[in-house]
Amino acid sequence: MSDTAEGWVLRARGLRKQYGSGQALVRAVDGVDVDVAAGETVAVMGPSGCGKSTLLHLLGGLDRPSEGEVQLDGRRIDRMSERALARLRRTVVGFVFQAFHLMDELTALENVELPALLAGSSPRAARRRATELLDRVGLPDRAGFLPAALSGGQRQRVAVARALSNEPRVLLADEPTGNLDSAATLEVLRLFDSLHDAGQTLVIVTHDERIAATADRLISMRDGAFVDETRLTGGTTGQLAALVGLEG
Amino acid sequence: MRQEVVLAMLAKEPSHGYELRARLRHALGPLGEAMNAGQVYVTLTRLEKAGLVSSERSPAAADRPDRKVYALTAEGEERVGEWLVEVSWPKPDLAEFHLKLVAAASARLADPLGIVDAQRRELLRRLRDAQRAAMAEPDGSEAALLLEGIVLRLQADLRWLEACERSWTDRRNSTHRRSGS
Amino acid sequence: MGRALLIGRLALRDLRRRPVEAVLLLLAITAATTTLTLGLVLQDAARDPYQSTREATAGPDVVATVLPSPEGEPAELTALESLTGVAGVVDHSGPYPAIGAVMEVGGETADVQAIGRDTASASIDQPEVTEGSWVRDGGVVVEATFADALGIGEGDPVTLNGRSFPVVGVAVTAAVAPDSCLVPCYIGPPLDELPPEEAEEAEGIVLCSAAADPPLDCVVQSPGLVWMTRGDVRSVAPQEEALTYLLNLRLDDPASAPAFAAANDACQPDQPCQSSGPGLYPWQETLENVTENTRAAREGLVTGGSLLAVLAVASVAVLVGGRMADQRRRVGLLKAIGGTPALVAVVLLAEYMILALVAATVGSWVGRALAPLLVDPAASLLGSAEVPPLTASTVGVVAAMALGVVILATSVPAARAARTSTVLALADAARVPRRTAWLIAVSARLPVPLLVGLRVLARRPRRVVLGVASVAVTVSGLVAALSAHASLEGESFVGMVSRLEDVRTEYLNQVLLVLVVMLLTLAAVNAVFITWTTSLDTRHAAALTHALGATPGQIGLGLSLAQVLPALLGALLGIPGGLALVAALGGTASEVPAWQLLAVVPGTGVAVALLSTITARFGARRPTAEILQAELA
Repeated sequence: MSDTAEGWVLRARGLRKQYGSGQALVRAVDGVDVDVAAGETVAVMGPSGCGKSTLLHLLGGLDRPSEGEVQLDGRRIDRMSERALARLRRTVVGFVFQAFHLMDELTALENVELPALLAGSSPRAARRRATELLDRVGLPDRAGFLPAALSGGQRQRVAVARALSNEPRVLLADEPTGNLDSAATLEVLRLFDSLHDAGQTLVIVTHDERIAATADRLISMRDGAFVDETRLTGGTTGQLAALVGLEG
Repeated sequence: MRQEVVLAMLAKEPSHGYELRARLRHALGPLGEAMNAGQVYVTLTRLEKAGLVSSERSPAAADRPDRKVYALTAEGEERVGEWLVEVSWPKPDLAEFHLKLVAAASARLADPLGIVDAQRRELLRRLRDAQRAAMAEPDGSEAALLLEGIVLRLQADLRWLEACERSWTDRRNSTHRRSGS
Repeated sequence: MGRALLIGRLALRDLRRRPVEAVLLLLAITAATTTLTLGLVLQDAARDPYQSTREATAGPDVVATVLPSPEGEPAELTALESLTGVAGVVDHSGPYPAIGAVMEVGGETADVQAIGRDTASASIDQPEVTEGSWVRDGGVVVEATFADALGIGEGDPVTLNGRSFPVVGVAVTAAVAPDSCLVPCYIGPPLDELPPEEAEEAEGIVLCSAAADPPLDCVVQSPGLVWMTRGDVRSVAPQEEALTYLLNLRLDDPASAPAFAAANDACQPDQPCQSSGPGLYPWQETLENVTENTRAAREGLVTGGSLLAVLAVASVAVLVGGRMADQRRRVGLLKAIGGTPALVAVVLLAEYMILALVAATVGSWVGRALAPLLVDPAASLLGSAEVPPLTASTVGVVAAMALGVVILATSVPAARAARTSTVLALADAARVPRRTAWLIAVSARLPVPLLVGLRVLARRPRRVVLGVASVAVTVSGLVAALSAHASLEGESFVGMVSRLEDVRTEYLNQVLLVLVVMLLTLAAVNAVFITWTTSLDTRHAAALTHALGATPGQIGLGLSLAQVLPALLGALLGIPGGLALVAALGGTASEVPAWQLLAVVPGTGVAVALLSTITARFGARRPTAEILQAELA
């Protein structure tokens, strides 16, 4: 029975991750259930140290849970071998980090084509896809630039392009705008918005309300557990005018 | 909207009422639609009464308000000058909300946390709207800048609401502990 | 003064912060200083005993001999005696008769040359008795090295040409080398092992030990030296006409002995030889002969010490290059509070200078302590077991080398660090990896482990060069050692020369072993350093590559390849390098079996792969997520 038939990309049940023991026991993630449907954008918000980054790592197979199960694209990943997980990271999941994590000595283009090369694509195909992706994120003229020559927002967009390299079913972003200023945040916001419109499934962990506001679903997390879930529906700009004193 | 805004719009050159309205709407972008059509004329009439603005019938015009041409008087110009150097900032309305929570808690009318959550959700929706509107604007539009201001202030307000939530949660927990439940 | 104290304190504190690295650095430099000290000290180890023996025995400046003619005519004694009147000669002893004979002792046969001497002391060349007493009728005194090789001493019975003589004593002389030959003799490989071309030439040679009734013109093969009374020598000789005569000469200027010998020798270098005239041997020749082994050992040790110094430079350079990156913040602080670039450079270098001086001290002390173990056992002269104490010049040379190593290795990184802009240094920006575009492009076409490995190499080209160089130097040293070993084992001799050769071979093999062990140790230290600094450097990149979908196996293999590939290149370069080194030292490498040379390359690869895998295992194994998140801190 494949969950993908029902449109679920990501399911987790009873997820727990703890460190230490006895007095020093730390429950980073404490009993989390989550479902993410295809094409959905889900935002997880919470204060620092609430476990949201750990949760994201568990969902993406970068870390193993102490208890519970995670299903990605219909397959259980919590018991997979390291090799299988690596393959998974090449095909099903794309990661975007707060610190960008680009290789400093590679150009933007070389950074973006890296996952494809790791997955065994021919250099030409990888290069072609990377060029398309850089175009997609709006940086066609920056292909030959080193990260040091790019602004923060541009670097993060390169990182997003890289994450999309192998057409992942879900893009996991860990505080993607944490290191960006307001203008760069807007760049990344626009990008996520366009990805959402194109049907990409996104799970974003953030404590930036601006990012959270772009999501279809907003989950609040505290002390390792979910405490609230909201569906954000659209409205009009009518109510905004009051905010700026345009009434009366 | 303050009268001084309309005054200032006239500082460039005398204009018709409808020209003024058009310029205001352009500067406000999508928010301009919320503006009442008659608002501008009411304001202009008040300003005329106060002697800050004078009006003339434009030639070949019937006796209708939108055919008048308005211009600044000398006092009007002075007033604009004073207004430009004023540094007061639009006041936030936090006191009201804060008192709402205190009243709800003390009179046991409602759960303050519920109020906070509801407000948060509302602000998030507005944030989403403002953001969408901002992104829909072309680059460099003046309205985009205004929308960015809305977004940032909503963000600040949301942060305060999170702080309220933490604080009221702690207060409830310590109350429970004290009452031993 | 205050500044010097401050610098010293900073240096010591920094060393204490990373004790393991400091110890390894110390080890690397000390290996080089110890070897160099050994080489320098051994230089004097044999010369002095020879000089003291020469003094104690009143050694001659020139020894002259006349041989009997092969046709049976007696030796030209008059020609010999006329030498005593030549200008420059101030004293003489002899002429003494000498004969080659076959000696039997304990069931073994050995060829000897017996010199007839007076029981009374002579003014020139009176051998020093170390056991028993000097010659008397009916007894024989054996030369010390010979006695040692045969395992005989005072009281043992021997026979010479069938007549029995008990050994009455053992003595040491400086007049001739223990394996010299004054009587008609053959020194070379066994006659039946000669290749056809040489066997033809040697056809007329008959060994005295070969036949029961040897002809008059028989020769002895690689004889040992014994002394007897003149009468006893004549009784052992088959005929008066078979005797050789020798004469000891003292010159007014001992330093002129070689010139004197060349001028008066019957055999001039460019002319056909009149074998009936006297042959002259200056004392300098004997000295060279006696100290030959030690010289060879010393040469090897000094060469080895130099190679080790080069390796030490590479070691230090790798480690320092990595550490300098951490020093940048310190540099920034110093500059911000007003330190000049010179001061900054001194602070950076100070801790390494301290290590160098410590290494020089420890190395000199250890080298001096180990030297007696490596003194040539064949040089059985008076006082040969003593190694002279360290001279100031030796210590000075060693210290200069250690400081030189450190300065060479650290000057470039230190200069770079000192020149960093203060702001950048305080911000402690990590050292950006180098971009080698062509390598990155090439690696894209290769399978994932090679892609990872080549890109790791591309980040730090300087470290790759150092790695290749250190392996090349090591392999050169190994090839030279293999060649030396092969040439030692290659020859076979007989008689006294053979005995001495065996001892020499054993001795030089020991020296070679010490060198090879040092070389391999230092090379291993180098490999560990490089792997360690590389894995620290690539921790983040490896974690990222893991997060992007490479399996841990692919990454591990890639990191190994990044160590092994340069090592293989270094090994390939090291083989011709080693052959060149051998040629430069005056040897030939033709005797080294080809398989040994070829085995060096894969052997190096395997060794490096093992070392790097073990080192990488020891490195911190943190989960990918942790490493990537640590960047945020």
